[in-house]
Amino acid sequence: MKGIEYAKQWVRDALGIFNLELRNILHDGGVMIIFVVAGFLYPILYNFVYRNGILEDTPIAVVDDAACSDTRRMIREMDATREINIAYRCTDMNEARTLLQQRKVNGIVYFPSDFGDRLAAKETATFSIYADMSSFLYYKNLLMGSEFVMLHEINSIKVERLSLDGLTDQEADATVNTVRYEDINPYNRAFSYGIFLISAILMLIIQQVMFYGMGMSVGTMREENRSFASLPDTYSGRGVGRVVLGRGAVYWLLFMTIGIYVGCIVPAMFGFPQRGSFWDILLLLALFVTVCVFFSMTWTTLVTRRESAFLLFLFMSPVLVFLTGFSWPTTAFPAFWKYFSYLFPSTFGCQAFINLNTAGAPLAVVAPQLRALCIQGGVYYILACVAVYVENFALKNKARGDRGLVEVRAEGATSSR
Amino acid sequence: MTFLDKIDKVIRREIRIWARRPIYFLGSVAVMAFCTVFYLTFLQDGVPSDVPIAVVDRDNSSISRNFCRQLDATQLGKVVHYSTFAEAEADLQGGRVTSICLIPEGFARDIQAQRQPTFSFYINGLYFLGGSLAWKDILTMVNLTAGAVQREVLQMKGVPESQIYGLLRPVDIDIHQIGNPTMNYGAYLANMMIPGMLQMVVIIVLIYSLGAELKYGTSRHLLEAVDHDIYAAVSGKMALYTVLFTLIGWTIEVILYKWMHFPLAGSLSQMLLGCFLLVVASESVAVLIIGCVPVCRFALSIGALYSVLGLSLTGFTLPVEAMPTGLRGLTAMYPLRHYYDLYVQVGIFGSGFGEWYPQVIALLLFCFLPFLVLPRLGRAYTYLDYERN
Repeated sequence: MKGIEYAKQWVRDALGIFNLELRNILHDGGVMIIFVVAGFLYPILYNFVYRNGILEDTPIAVVDDAACSDTRRMIREMDATREINIAYRCTDMNEARTLLQQRKVNGIVYFPSDFGDRLAAKETATFSIYADMSSFLYYKNLLMGSEFVMLHEINSIKVERLSLDGLTDQEADATVNTVRYEDINPYNRAFSYGIFLISAILMLIIQQVMFYGMGMSVGTMREENRSFASLPDTYSGRGVGRVVLGRGAVYWLLFMTIGIYVGCIVPAMFGFPQRGSFWDILLLLALFVTVCVFFSMTWTTLVTRRESAFLLFLFMSPVLVFLTGFSWPTTAFPAFWKYFSYLFPSTFGCQAFINLNTAGAPLAVVAPQLRALCIQGGVYYILACVAVYVENFALKNKARGDRGLVEVRAEGATSSR
Repeated sequence: MTFLDKIDKVIRREIRIWARRPIYFLGSVAVMAFCTVFYLTFLQDGVPSDVPIAVVDRDNSSISRNFCRQLDATQLGKVVHYSTFAEAEADLQGGRVTSICLIPEGFARDIQAQRQPTFSFYINGLYFLGGSLAWKDILTMVNLTAGAVQREVLQMKGVPESQIYGLLRPVDIDIHQIGNPTMNYGAYLANMMIPGMLQMVVIIVLIYSLGAELKYGTSRHLLEAVDHDIYAAVSGKMALYTVLFTLIGWTIEVILYKWMHFPLAGSLSQMLLGCFLLVVASESVAVLIIGCVPVCRFALSIGALYSVLGLSLTGFTLPVEAMPTGLRGLTAMYPLRHYYDLYVQVGIFGSGFGEWYPQVIALLLFCFLPFLVLPRLGRAYTYLDYERN
């Protein structure tokens, strides 16, 4: 019987705290703006910026000192690639360099005057490319475009030469193409910058929006001399667990809504790959949002004022993008930053989302990330409880201290009189 | 009281606030120190090495084993062997390997019999850098393996050694990377990410400094100290923050180009000028935001939204020309965008002032922005008629 009574009391208290927190959030315009505007607008903004995501037809200047039929053919072929657009034909390198400097072109292709002669002499003919490294995508385009053309040319020149040596076409082809290869890029066919970036940052947006919003809410309470941790006196139960869970449930419900929007609706709106099953993603979201709630509860304890969260932690957003490991590979992380990245739910949440949603992996494949999220959730739950406990302890001491101070002052006042 | 006296008063007052509230120091100096350390140590290798490449070797011949050894020996790749394709695919989907090389059964036999076996490789393009580097690495190794076989064939046919290379490789490319010859990814990102963080910190801290006066109702006190001259009040604050953030920015530039020796074609002094202008222009944006919305919290939220998006809109990763047409013009409203253009001229091409003066003018134009809103901010400071929280 006692157990049932306790459970009833527990639920009543948790519900009370839930209501209180919900009212706090709804009445706080600033927090609502962060949740609604940032949570709903940011995914759309980022999708809009990276919607094309592919750089095509990078303008190039050509300096053709060889001026033979081979170079003219190669230039035509380069122009025909998706990556390169031959924008200018220059008479010398100085002219091309000026164009590069004025940023009218992002690269130069140079055929030296002996190019044709060397081909005719069956020696290796070398041409040069000069890439503007101000964005690595220029370099990638220039390299890929000219390499396609080069490999194609190598093949046709070899076949042609072997035919001259008396081989049949089929024999020549078999000699040249000893190995055929196919490259398959199943999840991001065109190496689209947008697909790779968006799938990585969607989960991060959920975590950061929750953190800044909760930070603002906690800061406000602190400024108004209330504490997020204190229990209203009307409640008879004083457990730490129900404070954490009752408060957390508010954020959990709110962010499941935002999470489903960010993780399922936004990708559909922008025609973004959605290869995972809906239920898998929902499961990931449920776990990820839970961990984010405890994570935010733990770290927002450090926030003392309404705006401090922005001043102290805004810079972390870009840092966290790198720590998810989708651009700089995880295996190349320096050891310290690898362990540092384990502090954040986004590290595992983003990886799991990329793998589930964009690569279409089954749930078993992301098991390591889910396991890591579970461990994080457990640890941050305990830390959030400790934070509430310490805060309560400090509050009580402070109250006692204040009372003491008042008594001392009162005594001082009477004695001086 | 002359204008300079007023500014002096404001600066002294601001320093007192700094001494009382550690958040200013933490939010500017400590944050920038952390970011500098992070971007320089996180990307310290420049180019990733030993990224895992899965190999499913169904042939297990001397040719296929040799291929694996060669691939493993490249600086970039590290071969991980799998017995079945399904296992390798699961790890590819899970992002634990960047790519899979599938060597079919009878690979060596088919090569020798000139039956042209097909070699497949799968890339996970969602892990962009690792994926694209692995793609390049594998492609090179495949061509070299094929070349080695062809070389043997040609030798057996009696082609003289002196002609073989010309036959194997009739055309070659000589690649020149202007501005970053070693393809140092760390230099490429740190060069823009750290100034980007500086822009963010300047905007956030200055908005907070101006907004806190409103929030705590101390703005009248500030105005009384300077004879109700809002120009002096804001100039004073801006002067102090200009000195502070310019010093931080210059320290960073010296670290980047002198200590880390990141490639810089032009002279360091030109970059220092650019950094100073970036700081001043960002401050002007901050004043504009708090002047338009004289509520500390709202202004901070807008400043945060603006500056986080600025890192993407600068166009140093995805170039501006690949963005939707409607957005391209908007990129001009970020000081960092002009700083980037200036860096490209100075750092990559080493051009003279004649090539990058438009960027200087653009950054200086930002300095006119505060004049649009200062009267309004002055009224808000006097009457405190906006909500405080």
